[in-house]
Amino acid sequence: MDTSKPAIFVNGALLPMHVRKRVRTVIQVVGADRGAVVGKSPDDLQLVVKGSPPSAPLTNFVEVIGIADSEKSIQAEIWTNFGDAFDTYNYNQLCQLANGEYQHLFL
Amino acid sequence: MNLTEGAISKITSGGATSAELKPTLQVTDLKQVQTKQPQQSDRFRLVLSDGSHLQQAMLGTQINHLVKDGNLRIGSIVQLNQYTCTTVQGRMIIIILELTLVAEECELIGNPVSAQRSSGPSPSPVAQPGNVNASPKSFGTNSVTGGVVGNQNMSAAPVQSPEINQFHNASPSSNYGPGRFAPTNAPPLYSKVEATAGSVPSSGLYVNQNAGYPNPRPEISQPHMGSYSRPPQSAYQQPPPMYSNRGPVARNEAPPRIIPITALNPYQGRWTIKARVTAKGELRHYNNTRGDGKVFSFDLLDSDGGEIRVTCFNQVADQFYHQIEAGRVYLISKGNLKPAQKNFNHLRHDLEIFLESTSTIQPCFEDDNTIPKQQFHFRPISDVEDMENNSVVDVIGVVTSIAPTTSLMRKNGTETQKRTLQLKDMSGRSVELTLWGNFCNAEGQRLQHICDSGGFPVLAVKSGRISEFSGKAVGTISTSQLFIEPDSPEANRLKEWFDREGRNTPSLSISRETSTLGRSDVMKTISQIKDERLGTSEKPDWITVPATVIYVKSDNFCYTACPIMSGERPCNKKVTNNGDGKWRCEKCDQSVDECDYRYILQLQIQDHTGITWVTAFQECGEEIMGISAKDLHYLKHEQQDDEGFSKVLRQVLFSRYVFKLKVKEETFSDEQRVKSTVVKSEKVNYSSQSRLLLDMMEKFKSGNDTSFGCKAESSYHNPGVNNAVIGNSGIRQAGPPGSNPVGSTSYAGNVGLPANQLGQYGNQQNPVFPMQSSSGGYLSCNSCGATSHSSANCPSMVNAPGQSMGGSYAKRTSQGGTGECYKCHQVGHWARDCPGLSSSGKMGGISKQHVGGF
Repeated sequence: MDTSKPAIFVNGALLPMHVRKRVRTVIQVVGADRGAVVGKSPDDLQLVVKGSPPSAPLTNFVEVIGIADSEKSIQAEIWTNFGDAFDTYNYNQLCQLANGEYQHLFL
Repeated sequence: MNLTEGAISKITSGGATSAELKPTLQVTDLKQVQTKQPQQSDRFRLVLSDGSHLQQAMLGTQINHLVKDGNLRIGSIVQLNQYTCTTVQGRMIIIILELTLVAEECELIGNPVSAQRSSGPSPSPVAQPGNVNASPKSFGTNSVTGGVVGNQNMSAAPVQSPEINQFHNASPSSNYGPGRFAPTNAPPLYSKVEATAGSVPSSGLYVNQNAGYPNPRPEISQPHMGSYSRPPQSAYQQPPPMYSNRGPVARNEAPPRIIPITALNPYQGRWTIKARVTAKGELRHYNNTRGDGKVFSFDLLDSDGGEIRVTCFNQVADQFYHQIEAGRVYLISKGNLKPAQKNFNHLRHDLEIFLESTSTIQPCFEDDNTIPKQQFHFRPISDVEDMENNSVVDVIGVVTSIAPTTSLMRKNGTETQKRTLQLKDMSGRSVELTLWGNFCNAEGQRLQHICDSGGFPVLAVKSGRISEFSGKAVGTISTSQLFIEPDSPEANRLKEWFDREGRNTPSLSISRETSTLGRSDVMKTISQIKDERLGTSEKPDWITVPATVIYVKSDNFCYTACPIMSGERPCNKKVTNNGDGKWRCEKCDQSVDECDYRYILQLQIQDHTGITWVTAFQECGEEIMGISAKDLHYLKHEQQDDEGFSKVLRQVLFSRYVFKLKVKEETFSDEQRVKSTVVKSEKVNYSSQSRLLLDMMEKFKSGNDTSFGCKAESSYHNPGVNNAVIGNSGIRQAGPPGSNPVGSTSYAGNVGLPANQLGQYGNQQNPVFPMQSSSGGYLSCNSCGATSHSSANCPSMVNAPGQSMGGSYAKRTSQGGTGECYKCHQVGHWARDCPGLSSSGKMGGISKQHVGGF
């Protein structure tokens, strides 16, 4: 596990708190728009992920790690296919845990 | 310490009942009775003293513990709170149902003598021995003086009769025999006189009671029957039919008298009860080592609230099955009374009736309203919490919810239905009631309808069984009965309560709600197996552990199993190689060409708290390994493909599973080990596992990490079912005479009095209980021909040297059967009715007699 460049778990609602920071989230891919991928955050907000997607076709759910460049967009560096089934509820909870009372337990 | 003076004679005469007299008495002797039937509980016999008299008594089994604990001993002073008198083999015995221990130990108070009298209320035989010494004519002279007092005649009779009988009975007894008779007459005389005196009060009573007691014939026979069951009546010159102990005469005497169920005891030969059938069981077929059979039983309830189970087998079952209708009232007589099988019979009676082909069941066409339709012993639900598993209870409550019927497979492969509902009562508790089988559809459906339409029906459960499956719950059994919206005071009270406040009062459930995770789903960590000492209790613990497989033992991962089908499944026992390529199963005692291979997989699993060994059998092993045991076996041993084999193992290693484990301590070669067996394993479903963890964190955060089952103590603590017999009124009546296996010769000398008293009072009270005794069993005396003793103890022999009495006795016997009054030797009346009786004279005669006889 690479701990040199930690990324904060975020959902759509938490992203604005971490602008300019390195974040990670899982989106449900909705479509592509001018070189960016449009997706739905775990808490059902729309996010735009910029950067170059890997050559392999994206699955329904994709994890992206990168810098939050605005309140609604991420400049992604790492794209990981998470398959077509993913429990967004759990991920959303995770995001809240990572930004809540037990924040110190997360990188 | 004051004993209640005269209590014994009052009790034995039937002049006092436990309601009105609670005497304080001293225990002068205490013995355990040897029972013939081993399954019967211990019985204790004791001798009670009221300071002047002694009386035998038996302890009701429900208070045996007093003796066993050592609280009740010889010398103890007790107060009888509930007792009843009964006659057993011609002896009066007080059955003590409830007593209070006044003092555990005390010096013997007073100088009590036996109050026992056997037999002979009949005045007729009385005179005999008494007059033996005197010339027969003395009667004549006496009668002149005595004619005055009619009553005295009466009273004289009981007084005298004991003497005779003591004479008869005492002498045969081997214990008493020589010791008593040999010495000079003076000392025994004393005691006898005492005894006589002692009986006077009671006879006085008797007389008074007899004011309305018609003397003539019809009654005569009964007292005689009572009194003469044992002694050698035939020897007297009494009219044989009257006094002989030929059974039938007695038996056919009177119409059956109904006795309360609570008064039934195994020593009664003849009884009739009038009772309502409250429950009728199915005619069931069974099969045991002794072959096939059928059995059917029904429960009875009588007007005193006594209940008893009646059981009949085979032909008898056929005979009565169709006669019995639930709810109807019957007169039932003749049947065997045996100790109740408490496993099957939860009624509050120690006995059970076994009908025979000679038993009679007679329906009463008029319904008897004094007999309740049903009898409940409702317990508040809060009490159920403290009751033993498997005990049977009646509960009443409001149905707050009912679940639909579900069906489930039983172990024996049959399917059954079950339906659960929640019952709530005023105790602030609720309980889960499980309906099984037919209850689901009949009553269950009706309840469902009411609940669906928004109602809260009151449900009374008769005989539900308490189970501890999850918390405490109540389930139906085959003899359970359900009453929806019963019309009873309890139900009305409950309804009122529910409408007023109960509806909105929360109640704590004493059952673990089925909606919560069952016990088998308790999520644990591996370290908790040790820390919480799981498996060390009586039952195995069922837990769920998410863990990772870290090691699989590659040797002996499977065994050779027997594939022969036994029933629906293969036998699966281990088979051994015969050496000829065949596999032999010990259990099936057969050999097969090819065996099965089944997993017996040893794994080490690990979670974040620790490591443990677990065993997985066939199905679970397959689930974990992803390959059948047979294939894996071939891979390893036939194909010798070690690489392929270790590949399979490697695949399994470090994969996470949710294991459902059965944890149980087992003993292997004297070593206790907690063994965990995998009963189910599933690959971890990360999504649901995560949710579970999130839930746990949520709970942890809110500081509410344990789900407390409401374990509040019940505020009403009423331990123990009150076993006291219900309906004292029934008991109080003198128990009917019967044969008593208990009797031992050592008491023979005392027997006289009480039996006699009973003969009179007992009969007076219950004129229907004739004592028929089987004459066959007795010894007969070669010397005098009487049946109550053997020649060794024959009074005629014993007394011969000292007194003429024996001789005259013998003489008398020889005159037997002339049918004349043997007081005045006239024909046409019995001595009892002899007009020329004089009490004073007779009294004199008696005391003289004492001197002479003893």
